[in-house]
Amino acid sequence: MAIDVDTTSGAWTKQRRKASQKANRKLHRKEYTWAAIFMAAPVIGWLAFLLFPLGFSVYASFTNWNGLGAMSWIGLDNYVRLVNDPYFWKALWNTVFYMIGIPIGLALSLLLALALARRIPGRTFFRTVYYIPVISSLAAIAILWQWAYNGDFGLVNQFLAIFGIEGPNWLMDPTWSKPALIIMAIWKGLGYSTILYLAAVQAVPRSLYEAAALDGANAWQRFRTITLPMVRPVTFFLVVTNIIAGSMIFTEINIMTPTGGPNWSTASLVWYIWNQAFRNLSMGYATSMALVLGILVLIVTVIQFRLNRRNDFSIE
Amino acid sequence: MRKKGMAAAAVTVAGALLLAACSSDGSSGGDASEEPDTSGGDAPNELTFMFRGGEYDKLAYETAIAAFEEETGADVTMIITDADQYATKLQAAIAGNQVPDVFYVEPGRIQGYVYANVLADLTEYVDQSVIDNIWDFGVDAYRFNVETGERGLDGDPFFALPKDVGPFGFGYNTVMFEEMGLEAPSPDEPMTFAEFTDLAKQLTVDKDGDGELDQWGTGLNVVWNSQAFVWGAGADWISEDQKTVTVDTPEFAEALQWFADLGLVEGVTPSAEQAQTLDTYQRWMAGEIGFFPVAPWDIGTYNQVAADNPDTFGYDVIPYPVANAGDDWATWLGSLGIAVSENSKNKELAAQLATYLSTDLEAQKILAENKVQIPNLIDYATGEWLETDALAAGWPANTKAFVEIAQEKGRPLPGTWTYTPEWYDNFWVGIESVVDTGDQTAADYVAGKQTEMQMLLDQSWVSADQAKAQG
Repeated sequence: MAIDVDTTSGAWTKQRRKASQKANRKLHRKEYTWAAIFMAAPVIGWLAFLLFPLGFSVYASFTNWNGLGAMSWIGLDNYVRLVNDPYFWKALWNTVFYMIGIPIGLALSLLLALALARRIPGRTFFRTVYYIPVISSLAAIAILWQWAYNGDFGLVNQFLAIFGIEGPNWLMDPTWSKPALIIMAIWKGLGYSTILYLAAVQAVPRSLYEAAALDGANAWQRFRTITLPMVRPVTFFLVVTNIIAGSMIFTEINIMTPTGGPNWSTASLVWYIWNQAFRNLSMGYATSMALVLGILVLIVTVIQFRLNRRNDFSIE
Repeated sequence: MRKKGMAAAAVTVAGALLLAACSSDGSSGGDASEEPDTSGGDAPNELTFMFRGGEYDKLAYETAIAAFEEETGADVTMIITDADQYATKLQAAIAGNQVPDVFYVEPGRIQGYVYANVLADLTEYVDQSVIDNIWDFGVDAYRFNVETGERGLDGDPFFALPKDVGPFGFGYNTVMFEEMGLEAPSPDEPMTFAEFTDLAKQLTVDKDGDGELDQWGTGLNVVWNSQAFVWGAGADWISEDQKTVTVDTPEFAEALQWFADLGLVEGVTPSAEQAQTLDTYQRWMAGEIGFFPVAPWDIGTYNQVAADNPDTFGYDVIPYPVANAGDDWATWLGSLGIAVSENSKNKELAAQLATYLSTDLEAQKILAENKVQIPNLIDYATGEWLETDALAAGWPANTKAFVEIAQEKGRPLPGTWTYTPEWYDNFWVGIESVVDTGDQTAADYVAGKQTEMQMLLDQSWVSADQAKAQG
């Protein structure tokens, strides 16, 4: 029995498949092209606004450059100068000192968040009040706090006087100038941290607290073993971002203590960098300090990520 | 279709990049898209003028610019910025090659900007007759010898004209002197340090008898006031050739120690805790301090305080004290310049505008009438203004002291004529140990500072030479 094979139809099917494959390939190619174009946007942005400036900064840090004229290559001279510059180290120390405010601010924020999570009267009002400093201009706040810290007429010392405490001349006293700026920074950042903690606290499943209560856990035990671990991702985020932001502290120092404070006690590293770049026309040297600061922040952040990963846990 | 698609993609990419550029600035609160275009004008009659200042500066310049536009057919765009951001924005404009045609420049910036070919030499554009009618300091502050690096020497090219000259005068509370039955200080002859101390002691009293002082002879911030006393003792921070730091001389140490002892030994100033600048400024205006600085930019405020509190506050200007009778008194004189971009497409017209802004009589009258500055024009300032206009506008009785400072007694702040002021700034780091706590004598302090300051000054000269070589 002869089998009738429709070779014409087969060829046609083959042809059609081929055409379909070709169309598919073309479509894929087109899609790939579009995908590449859209992916190029952030890549080009990253190259133009991050990698190029970073590369430029690295190069500038090895040059003698006043920010106006041409650069001249001086190798590691800026870094040698930096190591031997006592003001760099003092500014770095001041900047690190300002970080003391981070754990204090976080602890206060968590306490506030726990309070605001309760059904207390006027909690919306309090949430708003605590958030106002966050959205206020830092320059305006710095001017207000400068007045508040005035040794004679300032609100801070007037408040302390109610309790019989004779307050120091905050911004003119080398011992108290840094704590004064830390207090202001905590006040300014409290609302932001509180809002994040509030969201985290409210997201903790009630069932965990109920189970713990059934097992006889008291309030402190519930806080320590449930709340604290559950809000840890927020704590981690806040620590990382606060350290990065804290290392860049500048505006309040430049406004409240424009000469770096008594005995240079408030000068932060970014303030010193800015002075070298724009007042002393040492843009190359300023860039080298900025890079060192950037590397230090990077190292601290990497360490934090490592520590966070080691302590990570999940709830089944 | 494909072309349309590619065009759409290009727009998308451009948009994304723009958004990235804008969002990257979020933390500083600025918005790149709101930044004015500071670049110079393109058309033959177009100019941009970038400056900082208050409402009266704006009013005066609008008047001058309107007259200038009418006279020359120019089209001037004014760009005004906040005072504290001006220097940074100007530097950014220079780095971005968007230098305005005409702009304010501080005297201390001249060297760096000239070496970087930012400033036009105005010598050939401005008539000598115009220069002759401006305070010498007003032009000398912008003179610079590119070859030798020397500043302020008559005959050298100048790279800006003065927006103003700012005499930092000394004053006393006239009401307090009358109340205490004390003879007012001479408006012409400076007191000696000893006479000043004696008067300050008489003014320092416990008025209400509660056992605590509530009126003091003086209360001066060391960073802004010690210059006059150091110069009045024949000492200085730097040698005339601007190459040697001279703070370690006996005259300097004695003057600084005397200044510190006003508070530490004589007790004629509020205590260290009370002596913030703001405090002594407030105390002066509250009628609690006898002697305090008086500068043109304070006149409006002081007049208001005097009008509101005629029983406690009134003031006049006097010369700064000197170490010994017969010594020459001096104080510092600031200035802000109006410069022209070297790359302006309309350099000649821009130079004309700078001249107009600096010397237009109507603009000068507006600024002087509103107590913003003393006039730049010598003939007007020493004639009609001093004789009638100043008093009518509410300037103090002895306004001629300001004119005297502008004419001959004024000097630039140390550090103004060196490439960078870092060496001079360094002097103030730790000064509290001398003037506030007395932990260190002035002699020890200046001896220790000299080496560090000299090193920074040498570095400044090295940097200047390098900037000159790099161009």
